[in-house]
Amino acid sequence: MSARRIPTRAWVGLVLLVGLGLASWLAGRVFPEALAHTCPLGMDPTHPDRTVCELAFGGLWVSLAVGLAAGALSTVLGLGVAMGARAAGGAVEHQVLRLVDAVFALPDVLVVMVLQLAGQSMLDAGHAGGLGPFGLMVVSLALVGWAGPARMFRNRLATLEGQEFIAASRALGAGRWHLLRVHLWPALRPFVLAVFLSRLPTAILTESTVSFFGIARMEPMSLGRYLGTSYAALIYEGGARVVLPAWGLLVLLVLGASLSSQALGAGTRRA
Amino acid sequence: MPPALIRLGRQLVLVPIVAIASYFLMAALPLTTADDAKRQVAPEVLASYRRDLGLGQPLGFLRPWEKLFRGERLGTSAQGITGDELLWKLSGSVGVGLVALVLALGWALAFALLRARWRRGRLSVLGDSLPAVAFGTPVFIPALLLAPAVVERGHLLPELCAALVISVWPGIFLGTLVADALDTELARDYVRTALGKGLSPRSVLWRHVLPNVLPALLDAVGPVATSLLAGSFAAERVFGLPYFGQLYVLAVLQKQVAVVVVATTVFASLLVIVGLAVELVRLLVDPRAREART
Repeated sequence: MSARRIPTRAWVGLVLLVGLGLASWLAGRVFPEALAHTCPLGMDPTHPDRTVCELAFGGLWVSLAVGLAAGALSTVLGLGVAMGARAAGGAVEHQVLRLVDAVFALPDVLVVMVLQLAGQSMLDAGHAGGLGPFGLMVVSLALVGWAGPARMFRNRLATLEGQEFIAASRALGAGRWHLLRVHLWPALRPFVLAVFLSRLPTAILTESTVSFFGIARMEPMSLGRYLGTSYAALIYEGGARVVLPAWGLLVLLVLGASLSSQALGAGTRRA
Repeated sequence: MPPALIRLGRQLVLVPIVAIASYFLMAALPLTTADDAKRQVAPEVLASYRRDLGLGQPLGFLRPWEKLFRGERLGTSAQGITGDELLWKLSGSVGVGLVALVLALGWALAFALLRARWRRGRLSVLGDSLPAVAFGTPVFIPALLLAPAVVERGHLLPELCAALVISVWPGIFLGTLVADALDTELARDYVRTALGKGLSPRSVLWRHVLPNVLPALLDAVGPVATSLLAGSFAAERVFGLPYFGQLYVLAVLQKQVAVVVVATTVFASLLVIVGLAVELVRLLVDPRAREART
């Protein structure tokens, strides 16, 4: 897909995502002391040594990193499953699709909670294979999130394989690897980006909710864990000052990813 | 075998799969003791883990269910649960979920109408961005904003507030879906034909268009029910409601693994029941669904 064919809404979403990523990196990682001295929202009631801005932008950076890693891993897993199912075909493909639908029916939050319980017990026993809380969360989210991309990629591959240019290439003697490399992958590439971006907000929201419950021990804190640890103070000390910035950043992040994935998805469907 | 029965069997098979998968995942947990890790579980939790899951026993995966049906307590004495308590908590969450479903339908209708009105005006951006804002707002944030009035000052009914906060995103999602389906149907030839033959717009809408929009609405009920039930976890936690969502979160936090196995299976069963109910309604209202099964 050329840059000229990318819809305006996708550009707005991508600029928003990149802008938030840069802002969180600069504010939370490169110049944290600037936020410590200039934050207009003051100190956080439950973390007296940190300002609200430091915690919100630090949390945004962690949430974004979790979302990007989990979105990428679940997209790769989904793509692998879809390609495997298409290559096997017949009854195997049918059974794989039924498994995909079963996993997709379960709510992400519930399954991630169970996987976090299992993962943290392994971490405590020293059997987590070198994964820390961040890695555990990324793996948990990917294990839940692969089903949607797998379904979308399988349907997209089935549509592409039914096109005339694929039939012509087959008739001319093209092998499976040639078809995949020369015809299918270039047609699939913009769709992969759209699917990856569509996983991003879901992963961020699921991580936020599970961290809010206090189940995930993300350090440094993500936006969800930050809001979860401030919970008691929010009730007793009028917490809008703490909640609203973190909420605003979360909404902007999800808005950026949603806008770009919707626009890119619509663009690839038209193409 | 009739296709309807095959579909029923496919949905029901999810329950034993979830029950067995969650059991074996929990049974394989390396729960640590004071001797081999610094972050160990309490001895009482470890004892209940071995006792309630029937580890090492033949058909041990049936042990939690056997205890529940006998009326025995699952988990530790302080935080465990009996079958009756589980049913009571489940009925509380389902009640909140049903109220939220009604509210979501109200939001959906209101949003679909507003979006149709805003479509050609300057407010059309609002119609497009409101779903993204609602989707980007986790349930716990509006719950936290309402919490001081509900929990601290006791001004509002916690159950109603929980239903209100969990209904917003599903309602706007349904509203977007209904608005899009309405747009598609209103552009079809049969609408033009019916209007050309002299039927009033109201009659065309109610007799011809809405019955064609209903299947799209039914397709969304499954994801909406999942969203409402998952949202109730956060709302119950914030408002301190002692129902199923709160039970689940506390069971995970306190490593009450037998309770986690049972609650996960019950949750999957609930989703299957919703799916079956949707199928039944679809058979009643959609002639195409009936024809596909004969």
